[in-house]
Amino acid sequence: MNTFLAALSLGTSRGAIFALVALGLVIVWRGAGIVNFAQMGQAMFSTYIASTLITNGYSYWLAFFAALLSGAVLGALLDIFIMRPLSNKKQSELLSSESMRAAVPVIASLGILGALQALAGIIWAAEERGFPSPAKQEGFTVAGTVLPFTSFDVFVVSIVTVALILTTLFFTKTGIGLAMRATALNQEVAKLSGIRTNRTRTISWAISGAASSLAGLLITPTSNLSPNTLDLVLIVGFTAAVVGGLDSPVGAVLGGFILGMVISFVTFYDTPEDVFLAILAVLLAVLIIRPRGILGSKDARRV
Amino acid sequence: MLKIENLVTRFGSVVAIDGVSMQAQESKITTVIGANGAGKSTLLRTISGLEHPSSGSITWKGQSIIGKRPEDIVRLGIAHVPEGHAVISELSVEENISMGSLFRRRKFKSDITPAIDEMYELFPRLKERRKQLAGTLSGGERQMLAISRALVSRPQLLLLDEPSLGLAPLVVEQIIDSVNILCRSTGLSVLLVEQNANTALGVADHGVLLALGKVVADRPASELKADAKLRAAYLGY
Amino acid sequence: MRAVSNLKVKSIARTSLIRTLIFTALILLIGAQFDAYNQAQLAVVLILFIGVLSITLLTGISGQLSLGQGALMAVGGYSTALLITNYTLSLWVAVPLSIISSAIAGLLLGVAAARLRGPYLAGTTLVIALAIPTIANRFMSVFKGDEGLQVDVGYPPQWFSTVFGEPTYEQWQLYVALPFAGVALFFASNILLSRTGRMWRSIRDNESAASLAGVNFSRQKIYVFILSSTFAGLSGALYGLRGLVGPSVYPVSLSLLLLTAAVLGGIRSITGAFIGTVIVVFLPDWIELILGNFELSEQVSNFLPALISSLLLILTVVINPAGVAGARLHKHK
Repeated sequence: MNTFLAALSLGTSRGAIFALVALGLVIVWRGAGIVNFAQMGQAMFSTYIASTLITNGYSYWLAFFAALLSGAVLGALLDIFIMRPLSNKKQSELLSSESMRAAVPVIASLGILGALQALAGIIWAAEERGFPSPAKQEGFTVAGTVLPFTSFDVFVVSIVTVALILTTLFFTKTGIGLAMRATALNQEVAKLSGIRTNRTRTISWAISGAASSLAGLLITPTSNLSPNTLDLVLIVGFTAAVVGGLDSPVGAVLGGFILGMVISFVTFYDTPEDVFLAILAVLLAVLIIRPRGILGSKDARRV
Repeated sequence: MLKIENLVTRFGSVVAIDGVSMQAQESKITTVIGANGAGKSTLLRTISGLEHPSSGSITWKGQSIIGKRPEDIVRLGIAHVPEGHAVISELSVEENISMGSLFRRRKFKSDITPAIDEMYELFPRLKERRKQLAGTLSGGERQMLAISRALVSRPQLLLLDEPSLGLAPLVVEQIIDSVNILCRSTGLSVLLVEQNANTALGVADHGVLLALGKVVADRPASELKADAKLRAAYLGY
Repeated sequence: MRAVSNLKVKSIARTSLIRTLIFTALILLIGAQFDAYNQAQLAVVLILFIGVLSITLLTGISGQLSLGQGALMAVGGYSTALLITNYTLSLWVAVPLSIISSAIAGLLLGVAAARLRGPYLAGTTLVIALAIPTIANRFMSVFKGDEGLQVDVGYPPQWFSTVFGEPTYEQWQLYVALPFAGVALFFASNILLSRTGRMWRSIRDNESAASLAGVNFSRQKIYVFILSSTFAGLSGALYGLRGLVGPSVYPVSLSLLLLTAAVLGGIRSITGAFIGTVIVVFLPDWIELILGNFELSEQVSNFLPALISSLLLILTVVINPAGVAGARLHKHK
């Protein structure tokens, strides 16, 4: 029973973080039409910035918001200086092929990931460093037993819930949200409607950057910070987004929690070494059985 | 209001528009007709900024608009309804129409809802289906939706590219009628590209006949309609 | 009809053979001028060249982006290591045999991935790249976990030393890698020039048009995966023969390294694959050459090559996606 609760608790808190990562991926997908593999690199970078601030004596919350801000700024810069020139390039013969057009932004985001990791190594060295948590990491005590659920877990889950609500409202109810969706679905029609597509895409990147920074901030207290920490998180986040449906914010969160549970239960009831294989199994299962994801729309697989 | 002089648009080595000079007369319907591949769509796409010309000039209200981005040209009062995929299937009818009014929200806050309501008045069928996804609409309804999206931005010039494509004659008539009414009642200028020259010349005030990227005739519509020789030679009827 | 196509096949084979011979001659010539360190580097270039060719075939020619080539290399590496360790086979037998296991892995990968495109394919192969090496830790008795299996290129046979003189260890590494690289080059060149190559390019360029032309591209995509995997497996086998086969030898960054090499050099051509591999392998040396005079902290010098190759990748993709080789090739596809 205790193992079960422990697994459930870990699954929930980790699931919440994966949900955030998946959400960030969905935002960029919905707003810019690409999958941003560099996302966790951005998160890692922002978290390092926060860590540096904290080490230099600033409060956790100041560092927290600094990280979110730097995540947004970094995301915007990446779009302006790399992604925008990329999408403006029409001349190359290479890009006349459909599959290369889809592959090129992915390759660019991988390059960005590598550059960010190397840059982090240069600035902060690859040593692992700890990261504080804003809430207690001890379990709640109920009727004498210590539950494997901490106030930090509550913090994480509530933040993710808020993020999800805000994102869904943003996309469906606001003008910018509509502009973002239109830009990603059909850039030409969006332009002809007067939407400033370049600016809109940059905003998507900025928001996604902030979301991933948030994920980085939330997961790092429980592990350690190094340039490569978050690689696993990216993979899981990607799988979560695919499972839930790459164009559905709610699906992303759902996928995040599903994957959190899968990983947690595999860790507790099987062995941690099987985690990657379990993730792969889930990914393949979804892609074969229901490629659009649980909540994805029919066109979710459009590339 | 819209003046085009010696416009040349190339795609690599192919010259799609070869020195076209013409005007879109204010508050009138000017139609551009010609066979397939004559350069009609390219002309509209060049005006709206989707394509860049290699030489020539396009002036709108005295200002040159060459090199401006499509989204900026919309803000200057020119709305383009491209042929074919002019609506976003994954968005609802309401969202598609709202798209066209987004850029006006700051300056003309109070005019947004009235503008959208006017579209529903013009095309009641859209009002019935306002929450439906655009992809579920029939061809005719999608064309109405595309036109609404353009009109809701309150343009002064409407570029309409082959609205009859793939539609039944009755539906085409409805749509063209609505546009005609709108033009006459609000003073909207319309540049109508059509392969169905008969229909186009029926509503237009002025006609420009394009062939292989060049202007072959530029006359009042009634004259063009009456010119049997010209029609047989270029339009096949 | 038969006679004409036979003629075409023969002339393609002849072209490929000539290319291979020129290539071999050049490598031997250059290798003779190099010192021991650079000879070992050249051997690595030849080995990774085969791996990069797997990307040229998969991504450059058929348009499928896979980030899991490192995992396929691992399959080749482990197969060879196990065959040598457990059955005391000579590497000349073990390496060709492990191509079979790589082909099977490629088949499985292809079946799973053939329906995927773009980021879905990339992401899935990335997950595979991360998942496969964990198998080594899972079945530690067979794969020896993180420790891995130790294998190497061994010593040249007696007849070789008698005829050519005793080669140094680095020279022998070169002489082992070269025939495999040559064979890989020959087959890659053949495929690229053949009708099959053209068919795959049509899939890359326009799937809808290709399907109208009657191409069953699901099946073709699987074929490409199988073929590309054999190249990756061969490369992985040779890569392991440098001394160790283990999870640390085939990390995810290896897959990205191959991709970087392919993109930098030119993702569509064999020449591009070679240029890219040379760049990627020698870059750390060149950096040290240029910056050796500056006093760089260990922190910086550790990560500088990675930073520069990542930046080069970004710049290439943004400014000239066709890579070094592509910039000169205007009409040739």
